[in-house]
Amino acid sequence: MSKTANIIAFIDAGIKAETLRQKAIASNIANLQTSGYRRFDVEFKELLAKAMDSSGAVDFDDVDAQFYQPKQTPVKSNGNDVNLEVEVGEMVKNSLRHKAFLRLLGKKYKQMELAITIK
Amino acid sequence: MQISGTFGPIDIAISGIRAQDENIKLISSNVANAHTTDAGMGQPYRRVEAVFKSDGIGGVELEEAAPDMSDFIRVLKPGHPNADEDGYVEMPNVSLPIEMMNLTMATRAYQANTAVLKRYQRMVESVLELLR
Repeated sequence: MSKTANIIAFIDAGIKAETLRQKAIASNIANLQTSGYRRFDVEFKELLAKAMDSSGAVDFDDVDAQFYQPKQTPVKSNGNDVNLEVEVGEMVKNSLRHKAFLRLLGKKYKQMELAITIK
Repeated sequence: MQISGTFGPIDIAISGIRAQDENIKLISSNVANAHTTDAGMGQPYRRVEAVFKSDGIGGVELEEAAPDMSDFIRVLKPGHPNADEDGYVEMPNVSLPIEMMNLTMATRAYQANTAVLKRYQRMVESVLELLR
């Protein structure tokens, strides 16, 4: 079985990751002034790449997107490392990816519908 | 920083917005300190100028806040505690009209970067429309 056979599971994992990242960005923006707060991000691309490299079918239990704190951006004087502009940029990218996944999912369902309606 | 994949233009526009944000910070410092006669070491406030840098295609960042080494302005103010024996006070080398002009340019550059971001977002969305 090819790695990309289960397209719906693929898209599903992607949509879940983007939804989670949207939460992380919302939390980052809400804590823009909170001292000591470090920004959150979501790890997904790396996990997916690892699953794709391994042999056999992709197990989507391994590609479970989750929060992590990169702790790489410079910290401000109050121990906070959130930058509003960066978060807005991430949000734009995230919503575009989300939209792409949703469109792909819609396309896939339309394909199935077409197969069903053929008489 | 390097341009990466489909969302490179977004990262570049964001770097431009951040750089202009820093620039506006420096300009507001100059305006706020336009009359600061004591900025430590017996000298008035020296205005700072934003210097940007870029390593080829891939965004911009503020390299440094360079001090403007032009002469301070001498003003006759005999009653001022910082006045010298002739009654002159050294005022910062800040010129408000120039700062306002720089502020306008920084604001326009900021807007230009947000316009690029918006336009690129619309472009990608129009590609996604093809997936309908």
